[in-house]
Amino acid sequence: MTIAKKILANGVSEHEAIERAQKGDAESFEALYGLHKRRVYSLCLRMTGNTAEAEDLTQEAFLQLYRKIATFRGESAFSTWLHRLAVNVVLMHLRKKGLPEVSLEETLEPQQEDGPKKDIGTRDNVLAGSIDRVNLERAVESLPPGYRIIFVLHDVEGYEHNEIAEMMGCSIGNSKSQLHKARMKLRDLLKQSKAEKAANRR
Amino acid sequence: MTCAEFQKALPDIIDGGGTEDQQKHLEECKVCADLVADLRYIAEAAKLLVPMEDPSPRVWNNIEREVEREGLAKPARRNV
Repeated sequence: MTIAKKILANGVSEHEAIERAQKGDAESFEALYGLHKRRVYSLCLRMTGNTAEAEDLTQEAFLQLYRKIATFRGESAFSTWLHRLAVNVVLMHLRKKGLPEVSLEETLEPQQEDGPKKDIGTRDNVLAGSIDRVNLERAVESLPPGYRIIFVLHDVEGYEHNEIAEMMGCSIGNSKSQLHKARMKLRDLLKQSKAEKAANRR
Repeated sequence: MTCAEFQKALPDIIDGGGTEDQQKHLEECKVCADLVADLRYIAEAAKLLVPMEDPSPRVWNNIEREVEREGLAKPARRNV
């Protein structure tokens, strides 16, 4: 469904609601909140891993939207614009809290010359088919914050490395390497939970 | 190509596909092939994480209160 065709509860299109909200119409703003609250909240929740923080940040993101909506010119889709705004609100908050910096020094840990750990490649051990949403959700929650943010932005929200690098103030290479580490860490966590499940079945 | 060399280039291989040499190693090495399969699977599974939960109604109540306090707009007439 295209944005122009989204009809809100009060019978106006999203496009009309945006125009009205830009002129200060509170009811249209409320309709926009209703349309976008779930995705914004979910983004905040996944990036912080904390319900109370996610609620505060959702609130802050929509307040910023209220303050800035008049500057929306339609160069990108409204949802894209709003999401970028929400990501910035979350990142700002995490920075204030002392977000673990994505270090430029950090590189992938070198592997031993004799190759990777041999226990990682047995066929019964591959993850395919073993992950459900709840499993993955839990594993993402338990990632260290720096990894979680990159993973959520890239693999869940679909941002490109150049966009993430710009938002996080790091290099594209660094964004790539952090994402890789996040996926490797997730792999460990998911394998662990798979092994625990198998042990419980015995 | 050794496993170590291959794994050093993993980020590019996962998202880009990799060079001819890397592809050859992938076909020959089960350990690295499983690793790549897992990482691709994780990236794909991330799409399962669609937004599921709505924020508590207090979030909107707080927004409404703050909008009124800052005089950003006339107060909304009904709740979401």
